[in-house]
This record gives sequence, C-alpha cells and structure tokens, in this order.
Amino acid sequence: MTSSLPSLAIPGQRLGSVTTFTAGPGTHVHHSHVYASIAGPVFVDPAQPKSQAKSTISISRTARVKTTPSATAASKSKPKYNTLPGVDSVVLARVTRVQKRQATVSILVVLDESASSKALNPLQSASDNDNIESILSSAANPENHSSSDELRFQALIRKEDVRAVEKDRVVMDEMFRVGDIVRGTVISLGDQSFYYLTTARNDLGVVMARSEAGNMMFPVSWKEMRDPVTGAAEQRKVARPF
Amino acid sequence: MAAQRQASSASQTPHLSPAELSYLYTSLSLPGTPIRPDGRSPTQFRPLAAETDILPGTNGSARVGFADGTQAIVGVKAEVERTALGIQALSTAEQQDYAAAGNDDRGGGNNGGSKQGSVSGSGQGSWVQMAIEIPGFRDDDALPVFLAEMMREPLVESVSGGGEGGMVGGLKGRLVINRRWHWRLYIDVLLLSQPLSYPLPLLSLTTHLALLATKLPKLKSKGEEDPFFDDDWNAAEYLYPRVKSTKHSSIPGSISVHKVRPPVTLLVVSVAENIIFDPSREEIAVADAVLAISVTYDTDFDRLKLLSIRTIDPPSRLTQPGVPNSENVATLGSTTAAEESVIVNPSTGEEEVPGVWRPRRGGVKRATIAKMIKMVLEKGGVGEEVLDGLEGVEVG
Amino acid sequence: MTDRRRINGPPGGTRPPIFASSLESTSDIVAERPQRQRQPNELRKIFLKTGLIPSASGSSYLEFEPSTSLSAARSKPKSVIPPSSSLKLACTVHGPKPLPRSATFSPNLVLTTHVKYAPFAGRRRKGHVRDASERDLGVHLETALRGAIVAERWPKSGLDITITILEAEDDRWWGDAPDSHDAAWGMMNVLAGCITAASAAISDARIDCLDLVAGGVAAVVADETAGRETTSQLMLDTDPADHRSILSACVVAYMPARDEITELWLKGDNSKSSVGTDNRGLGHEALIDGAVDAARGAHSVLAEAVRESAQRFAGLPSGDFT
Repeated sequence: MTSSLPSLAIPGQRLGSVTTFTAGPGTHVHHSHVYASIAGPVFVDPAQPKSQAKSTISISRTARVKTTPSATAASKSKPKYNTLPGVDSVVLARVTRVQKRQATVSILVVLDESASSKALNPLQSASDNDNIESILSSAANPENHSSSDELRFQALIRKEDVRAVEKDRVVMDEMFRVGDIVRGTVISLGDQSFYYLTTARNDLGVVMARSEAGNMMFPVSWKEMRDPVTGAAEQRKVARPF
Repeated sequence: MAAQRQASSASQTPHLSPAELSYLYTSLSLPGTPIRPDGRSPTQFRPLAAETDILPGTNGSARVGFADGTQAIVGVKAEVERTALGIQALSTAEQQDYAAAGNDDRGGGNNGGSKQGSVSGSGQGSWVQMAIEIPGFRDDDALPVFLAEMMREPLVESVSGGGEGGMVGGLKGRLVINRRWHWRLYIDVLLLSQPLSYPLPLLSLTTHLALLATKLPKLKSKGEEDPFFDDDWNAAEYLYPRVKSTKHSSIPGSISVHKVRPPVTLLVVSVAENIIFDPSREEIAVADAVLAISVTYDTDFDRLKLLSIRTIDPPSRLTQPGVPNSENVATLGSTTAAEESVIVNPSTGEEEVPGVWRPRRGGVKRATIAKMIKMVLEKGGVGEEVLDGLEGVEVG
Repeated sequence: MTDRRRINGPPGGTRPPIFASSLESTSDIVAERPQRQRQPNELRKIFLKTGLIPSASGSSYLEFEPSTSLSAARSKPKSVIPPSSSLKLACTVHGPKPLPRSATFSPNLVLTTHVKYAPFAGRRRKGHVRDASERDLGVHLETALRGAIVAERWPKSGLDITITILEAEDDRWWGDAPDSHDAAWGMMNVLAGCITAASAAISDARIDCLDLVAGGVAAVVADETAGRETTSQLMLDTDPADHRSILSACVVAYMPARDEITELWLKGDNSKSSVGTDNRGLGHEALIDGAVDAARGAHSVLAEAVRESAQRFAGLPSGDFT
C-alpha cells in the first residue's frame, strides 16, 4: 500500500484507506479513504512499532521539511491543520497600543512550536512572512506599521496575563511600549476580533525594543532594558534571551 | 454586520446551536418519513393568503401572506418603448435598400428581410426588469440581486408554443407590439416583513399571481403604425391570455384556464435521502443541498417544463460544529471514545459521531438533483399541485 | 450623471462602417458567422497557470483557445474588424486574513468573491462599479467554491477571491448586435472559467479543499445550417459567437473525486428541442451530464496546472511523481 503513495499529491487525490492510515494535516477523510486537501509533497509518519496507532499520512505546507518530520510529529497531541495562530502556538507580535488594562498587538509570525528553539520557521502562508528578518528589523520603527496591520491578526495581552507573579501590581506602561516586538503564546481564539495572548513565562515577553532615543535596546534583567548609546534604562517585561 | 451579510450572500446564517441543528437533521433525515418541525408532509406547502389587483396604479398586482406573517407585494407596470433595432437588423435593412436599388440580387435582400423579421419578432430579455426590495438589505446586496436574476431568468427564457390563446415566443414575444415598438415590463417586488425564511417561494408566488392579473391596454392601431390604445380599461387584455370558456371550472386544475402561465420558482432542499419542499428557515439551516427550480406549464405537451435551476448556497456550511463528548473538556472522562463510535454517514460519506453536528461540506450527487427535478416535474407532482393551487386564486 | 458638456460616443460602442461595395454579396454578412469547427463533444483548449501574482497568496490565469474559425478569420481577414480571441481571466486569492472588525465571530473560513469585468472586456464598456450580472456571477462562484473548501480548518479568518475578466465571451462576433442573443449565454462560459481558475488559485494559496472543482458548460443549440432544417444538438463548451441560437445551457462546478456538483446553473427552454424527444423531459439530464463531462475535461487541465505548481513549490524536478 505504501509503495503506491505518490510523492506529490493534489487536492482530491486518494492516498489510502483509513484502515492503514490516519489522516494528518493537509488531508481529509471521505468514504473511509484518506484524500489530499492541499497540493504538496506527501509524508508518511510511521507508527511506533509497539503502539496500536496507524501511520499518519500528511501533506506538507512547507517546501523544505525533508528533515525528520516524524520526531516532532509524534510529540504533538493534536494535528495542526492550518497556519493560523491556534491555542498554545508561540507568536511574535508587535505592540500597537498600550492601555491601562490591556495591550493591543498585531501578530507578525506564528512560530512552529517544535522548531521555536531552532531557526524561525515561516509557517504563515501570507507571503509577507517570507522575510522574517526584514519584518523584525523594521518592526520597532513606529512609523511604518500602520499600513499592513489591517491584514494581520490582532491580539490582546490583558493585564492579568502579562506575568505570573504579582499580577495585581502590573502597570502596563512599564511592561510594553508601542512598537515593541513581543513573544507570547495564544491562550484563546477570543472573540470575533482579537486573540488573547499571555507572556506569563520566563521565555515570553519583549524581545526587541527601541528606547525613547530610538536606539535598539539590550536586556539587562527580566524587567529592564538599556539603551547602548545613552545608557538610559527603560522598564519592560523582558523575555529571557536564550 | 454588512460585511457578514455580504459574505453569507444568498443564505442567512441561522442562529441555532449545534445540538438543535443535529436534532433537526436527524428528524428530517429519517428514511422515508421525515419529521418536520411544523408537522407538514415533505411536499406540503405552508398555508398562504393571496389577493390580486390591490394596487390601482399598476397594470397588475398581487399580495401574498404566509401564515408566519411574512408578506410580499408585487406591482407590475408596463410602458411603451421604441425598439432599438439591432446592428445586424439595421445593416440587413441597409442591404435591403441596396438590394432594392437593383445593385444586387434580390434573393439576398429577401433573406435579410426575413432575418430581420425574426429578430424583431423574438423580443429581448432586457425588456423585463425586476427589482426586489427586502427590508434590511441594500439594493445592491447579493441577496436581492441574486433573487431578482433568479426570478427574471425563467420569465424571459420561457418560449412557449403558440396555438389558440397561446403566446408565440413566450413573454418576450408577447411584449412585441410591432417592429418598432414594444412594451417594457417593470416588476417591482416588495417584501413587507423581515425575511423569516429564504424569501424565494413567497416572492415567486406573488410575482406569478401579479403577472396573471396583469392587463395591457387593447391595441387599436394596426401593423407598423405608431401604437395607440383603447382608453377603456375594461377592454384591456391580459398579459397572459386566458381561455374564457373554462374560466369557472368547478375542479381547479382539471382544465387549465391559461394556455400559458408564468413560471413558478420552487425551493427544494435535500436532507440525507429525503427531499423536502417549501422549507422553513430551520429546515434550510440543516439542508445538504438547496435548489431553486423554475417550472412552467407547457401547452404543447400538456406537462410541466423546466426553465431554470440554480443551486443556492446552503447555510449549513457556515454553522458551528458540535463537540463530541469524548473531546469536550467539560465532560472529559464521562464517556469513553468507544462509546461514541464513529459511523460513516451514507449520504455525505463523512465520518461523524451520531448526534453531533458537523457543518456540511461538499456538493450534491447527480442522482439527488435528478430526483429533486423529477419530483417537481412529474405528472401529479409538486409543481402541478402548486400551479393548480395558484390557479384557484380568483384573479381580476 | 451624463456628461452634458461634450458630445459623447454612443454607450454601446461603435463599429466601423462597412461599405456595400466591399461585400461580395449581401448574404455574406450572415454566412460569415463563425462556424463551430469542433466536434460536439470537443472542448476548447485551456491555458491555466498558477502563481503569477507574487503579492497574492494564490493566483491563477486562465485563457481559452480561440475558436479555430476566429483564428482562421485572423489569418485572412475579410473585414477590417479584427476577430477577438476568447475568454481570458485572472484570479487572485488574498488570505487567510483577519475578518473586518465589524464582522461577527465565525468558526469557519469566510469566503468573499468579487467578479469584475474589465471595462474593455466586452464590446459594451463595463463601468467600474459592479453591475447586477457581475454580482450574480459572484454569488454563483461563491456557492461553487464554498462546497469545495474545508472551511472549519480556518476559523476566524477570511478569504478574498477576486477575478478580473480581461476578455468576456458575449457579443464577440462583430456581426451580432449587442445583446442580440436573447440571454447572456457567455456569462455561463465565464462562470465555468472563473470556477476553474479560482480552484487553481485556492490550491495555490494552500487552502484545504475537498477536491479540485472544475467548471463545465454544455448547451443545446439550434443551428441553421444552410439548406437544412433547423436541428438542435447537445454541444459541450459552446462558444456563443459560433451559434445563432442557443436554446438552453447549463454550467456546473464539479468535483470528480467525489462525483459531486457544488454549483448547478441551468437556464433556457429546451422543451422544443429534439434532444429529449425520445424521452421527454429528460433533456435537462443530458444537459447536466454534458456539463459534467465538460468539467471533467477542464479538471484534467486543472490537475496538471496544480501539480505543476506544487512541484515548483516543493522544489521537485518536473515529472518526478508517480
């Protein structure tokens, strides 16, 4: 059965029976057969020999995932069907507005949770994410973010979700400033307009920020960043850099 | 809200919970005997009240009210208009002149002349204009535009046979006065209430009645003269001519009063193996497929004929899915996965847990479409029943 | 809103004068109508390519092969009016992207379709505001596509599908008066092209679909061939310029892998035609089956185009698939 699998599938192509395979991302089940739902290379994730599970068949959304996809897939509990932010996905977002009770951010990149420690993997299919480096380096500049925010998913970081301790003493102005790049995880898909993010973990928080003088700052502690030129310190909820 | 309405276009998103949707679907999909929320049989229509000739300022009008309180008014107005001759007709006319001047052989000229006659005799679909007004929708929203096109299409497509009391060339042919003049028909449809269900059946029935009641003044001029008409409204002729002798037949529908009748558009839905007519909003919400089928009565072979079919986007595709107990966080552990065995729905081929709603996806099988059309068209079928019922409405 | 200060040209476009002396005989004008050179079940060739618009997440371009009669007329023109080619359209897909702020929560992908004729697409200029027929086409297209996409995999997001028709199908033969066909039969060909192109573009954007959905047209035409009685015949992929009278036509959006129709649009009165006379009232079934056959043909082109785009995307050398 496996031998008949094509290396490349197009939507609507029959890949195999559900008795031999489990439908993974990029596929769907119809009349007890697994069919492809997107065009792309086909991957089979072989089941663990001892477990009862069937091999999972999936179609990759990204071109260069030839490297061992099985190791990461096995640890995932739920298959991820799309490139949208889902619950628990780690995202990079830019702060667009800071209010007393919440900060509004717009999501720039959804990071692959398995690959978050490695190189940033562009998952979002929107073409403007192909050059993450350029997005991030231009990001902290407050002038040029007004145009494309309409096309990005908006999210909120509520005051309670900023950090895990001393939640009631949080002052939003001392946590985020407009233009900062924040790493956070999605806790809820939220309402019609906003996702909800949290930064209440050591590795989450501001990763890039500019000072009032406009220079890129470096982190000095979990709540302080410093301008290398003027030497001025500013308060932020800083993410652990490594 | 505006964007959402635009997006969901032809269908309104229902406000029913997944559990309600699943309940409705299950009862409507019972093999052979669907249980409808209002207890109707699958082919039964909702009761309605109708009257005609209610607007004195129109050539014909009708009002229909459904029992649920939705009402529609249709007014038909006619205007005399100069026929813009087509370029080909003009050029053939030019040729005719050249031919008449002895430049060329006469055969070509005659050929052109006859062609021209056939062009102007057929009438044009653009002579019938339809506008639909639905409260809460703008004129250029997708729903009114789609409905208007859907109802205009069969009207102008119908090319019924001639014969005594018939209409040569259908409605379009009827609108031709002579080669240079024609009637232009404005059909204005007003839905008086918020659309509680998909308003197509209501609007179509009202339009049908209004067209039956439409009269055009009697033409006094002859041939290619500029038209002038009889002042006496009592002498006016029906747009859809009728045969007088059988007008008051005791058994409605046994003999057709009209040789040609305006088309009627029926809304048909399929739920699993069942075909259901005149669905209410709740029934459309769970339908696998929604079809609008326009039929009319054909004098030539004494049966219904099909004029147009359109699929309508079923709102069930936009619904919220239900969560099986095995995946629900609130009831986690109360049921094991084995308890909710996944079965394959025979009509959709999707794997689903019984009693858990899944939004419909995919299309409709050809066999289902054929079955729907057959139920409308067959002798003694639903289409005939509807047309006969409408014939029973006292017109004029 | 008309411009009163200038003398404007007629809204219906102009045609150059044809002098009678230039015509060999007056019957020419009728005889010159292009004749269908294809077999009744032969389709026009389709050019389809994806990924041509880099700023969109998915895009495609579709073009129909010009009828042979038209290309013949081009090689030895009989009149000064150039014969036009045939349907050309471009489709872009933007998204998935956030829904507008005013929209309500949707657990599914919300599809928005815009079909727009370019002002120069037909003989009659189209305005920049979409008219009723364009909106109507948009609804048809939306119905066709919504059945094919797996919408629940993309919650809270929207997909915009924009189609620009660069060249339409109606009124293409210069000898026809504008709107001389009693219905806009070319709209059906346009819709079929829109469906095929949009399916390719959606696949290019990597939105989950149940199947590639292809559009196909079939029609019952009554052709008056010289010296013969008018006969009606079922033909696939009809070009309205080739036929004087089309009785009824049908367009479907069809998913071959599931044998399902997501959109069916049939109109016309073929009760008089001889196609269904042996089995009365079944004319529509022949028509629907014909349209499905045409869609199958379009699907083979669509599948190749999508496969090609997937290969390009995956970086595989072409032809490396089993």
